[in-house]
Amino acid sequence: MRWLRRVIGGANALTRGERADRDLDEELLACLEAAIDEKMRGGMDENDAARAARLEMGLVSSDSVKERVRSVGWERVVQGTWQDVRYAARTLRRSPGFTTAAVLSLALGIGANTAIFGVINALMLRPLPVRHPEQLVELLSRYPGEPRLSSFSWRHYEHFRNQNQVFSELLGVSRTRLRVTAEEGVPETIDGEYVSGNFFAALGVQPALGRLLEPQDDRVASAMAPGVVVSWSYWATRLHADPAVVGQSIVLNGVPATIVGVAPRTFFGLQIGMKPAMWLPAAMGSMLQDPSRRRDDSLGVGMLGRLRPGVTLEQALAEMRVLDRYRIDDFAKTRSAAFARGFSIELEPAAAGFAALRDRFATPLLVLMALVVTLLLIACTNVASLLLARAMARQHEMALRVSLGAGRVRLVRQVLTESVLLSAMGGVPGIALAFLGANTLVRMILSGREFTRLPQRIELQVQPDLHVLLFTAAMAVLTAVLFGAAPAWHALTAAPSASLRAQGAAGETCTRRLFARGLVVAQIALSVVLLTGAGVFIGHLSSLRNQDFGFERTSLLLVTLDPANSGYQLERLFAPYQHLLGRFGSIPGVRSAALSSITPISGAGASRFVKVEGFDEAPEARRYIPLNWVGPRFFETFGTPLLAGRDFAFTDKGAPPVAIVNQALALYYFGDRNPIGGRFQLVGPSNSGITGAPAEQVYEIIGVVGDAKYLNVHQPAPRTIYLNAFQEPRMFATQFALKTTAPSSAVAAEVQRIVREDLKTVTVARVTTMDDLVDSSIVPERVVAMLSSFFGALGAALAALGLFGLLAYTVTRRTSEIAIRMALGATTSDIARSVLMGALGLVGAGLIIGLPLAVLSRRAASRILPDLPANDVWLLVLAAAAMAAIALVAAYVPARRAAKVDPMAAMRCE
Amino acid sequence: MAEDKPSELVQGTLHMLILKTLDLEPMHGYGIGVRLAQISKGVFQVNAGSLFPALRRLERDGLIRGEWRMTENNRRAKYYSLTASGRTMLTRATRTWEIQTAAIARILKAALGES
Repeated sequence: MRWLRRVIGGANALTRGERADRDLDEELLACLEAAIDEKMRGGMDENDAARAARLEMGLVSSDSVKERVRSVGWERVVQGTWQDVRYAARTLRRSPGFTTAAVLSLALGIGANTAIFGVINALMLRPLPVRHPEQLVELLSRYPGEPRLSSFSWRHYEHFRNQNQVFSELLGVSRTRLRVTAEEGVPETIDGEYVSGNFFAALGVQPALGRLLEPQDDRVASAMAPGVVVSWSYWATRLHADPAVVGQSIVLNGVPATIVGVAPRTFFGLQIGMKPAMWLPAAMGSMLQDPSRRRDDSLGVGMLGRLRPGVTLEQALAEMRVLDRYRIDDFAKTRSAAFARGFSIELEPAAAGFAALRDRFATPLLVLMALVVTLLLIACTNVASLLLARAMARQHEMALRVSLGAGRVRLVRQVLTESVLLSAMGGVPGIALAFLGANTLVRMILSGREFTRLPQRIELQVQPDLHVLLFTAAMAVLTAVLFGAAPAWHALTAAPSASLRAQGAAGETCTRRLFARGLVVAQIALSVVLLTGAGVFIGHLSSLRNQDFGFERTSLLLVTLDPANSGYQLERLFAPYQHLLGRFGSIPGVRSAALSSITPISGAGASRFVKVEGFDEAPEARRYIPLNWVGPRFFETFGTPLLAGRDFAFTDKGAPPVAIVNQALALYYFGDRNPIGGRFQLVGPSNSGITGAPAEQVYEIIGVVGDAKYLNVHQPAPRTIYLNAFQEPRMFATQFALKTTAPSSAVAAEVQRIVREDLKTVTVARVTTMDDLVDSSIVPERVVAMLSSFFGALGAALAALGLFGLLAYTVTRRTSEIAIRMALGATTSDIARSVLMGALGLVGAGLIIGLPLAVLSRRAASRILPDLPANDVWLLVLAAAAMAAIALVAAYVPARRAAKVDPMAAMRCE
Repeated sequence: MAEDKPSELVQGTLHMLILKTLDLEPMHGYGIGVRLAQISKGVFQVNAGSLFPALRRLERDGLIRGEWRMTENNRRAKYYSLTASGRTMLTRATRTWEIQTAAIARILKAALGES
């Protein structure tokens, strides 16, 4: 209770301020008067009585008593700090130029750091809104050389769930898209998730309405009358937040289901960035899915386990490795044992949910974080050198205050208050900047192509939460200490006698001058690192973009059709598609049109093992060979050269199966023999949904084409086989490509019209261009290149500002020296040259430190980004030249000012 | 600083002595000082630099309450009086003090007897 009284008393004193002071004055005065009265009654005259009373009371100086009474409460510290802040604000207001420069550079530095951290926080750190998220771990399947996947089968999930002793709960999730038919309105496609029955209980999520799914929902018998849980936002936007929604019926993929409850508002599932509209019991999957997908078990299941108390990640991993043998043996039944043995299982802490997005963006985000930290260091150095220059100018004031009895600790506190105030002034607009920037950054990051095994729509909100604000505050304080250290030290060592005597000019010691130069050199060095980084990332991006894809990426319009739910049987689509290709080809401004099952660079692919007649291949040497089912004129449309043989024809349908191979495959399997007429079989199971022809089918090679990129822009063109889409039993190719000479938007409109006319019920799922596809497949590289060049430019500008400040200051200080030298016969160009040489000296020193640093950080970068181009010495030269040029521009104004010094005026001034 | 040391030593006891003084009757700051000097026969000379901070601290802690009144000489003065919690505190402090001084006295006597 007493502490509460003290807090209230202090707050009272703070708010009452002056009145409390007057009260105290009056009380002390009354006391003194009483004492004097007493003495006079004892017979003293008034003067003696007053003196005696003062002595007796110890009231020599009533101010010191007052000070001691005031310092009883904690409010004294607040008042002192407030005084410091007001003083600092006054001094900052007096030099608006300095303040603006400092606040701007800090706002940029802190803002950039907060923005990147905000994204990292939203994507990688923020825990899921579930009970004890820190106990959750994700199970991941790894195959060497491929990104790890959160994708298992329900059968393996059940094995893991029933056999393990390390998880108190193990839940499974499988994503899907569902067609919802509401009573009124058009059918809508939504994201949903099949979940194991223990899903909500394992997470400890409570329903907002009704109930959540329970284990008995996930029995095949209950799947006859399935219950689903809808998300809060689906309930609020699509179901009009109807409180009576529980028990209502909803039709999913044509199957009626019952809404049993609404998930709480905060719960969005287990993948950051995704907001599934509903959760369905996994048992329902067999009723709603395309039968072929159900059979081949290709619906990937993600698994999250809750560790039992006391079980470590290592123990859990050890047990899961043992249980995983079941999965590997399963694989070995259908695939080669060597292939199956390649698989392994990994556990990953999953407090922030599934790792898919994290895995993809962790590297670019960490690179960006390193860049912005460097930028902030430059900003700090910049402000430090500005502050130091000011400290030198204020040396006289400091010395005066010290000799008047100001405590040095008090002075240091004052200087540090100024630094903290500056960084707070930079931090507040920095936060605003950060959230604008972070959300833009998120939009850029997510603008890319769809993620493997994630639906296309990903939303990520970066909001200021406690973590981010704490981070920013820590950043601001840290920067304040960093750049405030120099001037504070300066204040601490202020030698009053020397500097009062010297009146400024000679008060600058050699070490301090060196220190100021050192700061500018450091800025230049760090900027060179940033500029080199920008160069590396831009170079990387342009080499990715401008490399030889093996096809022409410009003027290529890509159209994806979706015949599912159109009523067309895939077996009957051959003639309509052939007709469609004909019509597409005759659109004005279209040179040729083609069809394929896979669009190169789209990230999707299909592959099989191949057995080439007359070529013995050891099982370990076998590689999956990427496949693409294409129609006639595909190579002409894509601009891939046909090197030998002939193209596919519509007339191949019904004839013996034919294939076209690329040069790399021809070279590998046939060497210098002629591959035309060669025969091969596809063996082993398909690793994708596309199954194609039976395994015994023998294909004859009728043509050889140039090598072209397949999955993505990063990997070199693999050995590839093209098969004729029109020879397959079913038409599963959906990707149309049009080589255009007219603007693609006009052609796209025409394409839409033709599809509507020709195939009414087939929907156009997507229209894009190859250029956009390429760009959207390299979003992380683009973001890093763009931001690194932005940060590089910013860093260089800050360094230039620092250099400019130092030179301008030096020229002002040296005015009288310059005047004397001019009077002694130095020409203006001599003077200007000496300033410029000084600047070049600083730049040189900066480069000598910065270039090795740049080389080191370049090496660090290529460790985490292995496909960076290896050798780019010219980049270093370029960065150095750019820095030197920027520095010379910054030095120009001070040099001119030095050259314009009027010797007479300057000496008269002295 | 040197003169401050004795008063800092009696800091805890000063609070108790002030409470005791006010237990007799409400009094203003000067009166408290005079009363303490009188009762202690001049052993304790409390200067304003110690007295007023102590009064502020006691008031802040709710042990005493101050109000402006007229003195017998027709001057305005801030009279302090004991609050209920101040009285409890005084009782507790007195008991502690008695126990401690008795113990100290015993220790000192024992030391004398042994030497």
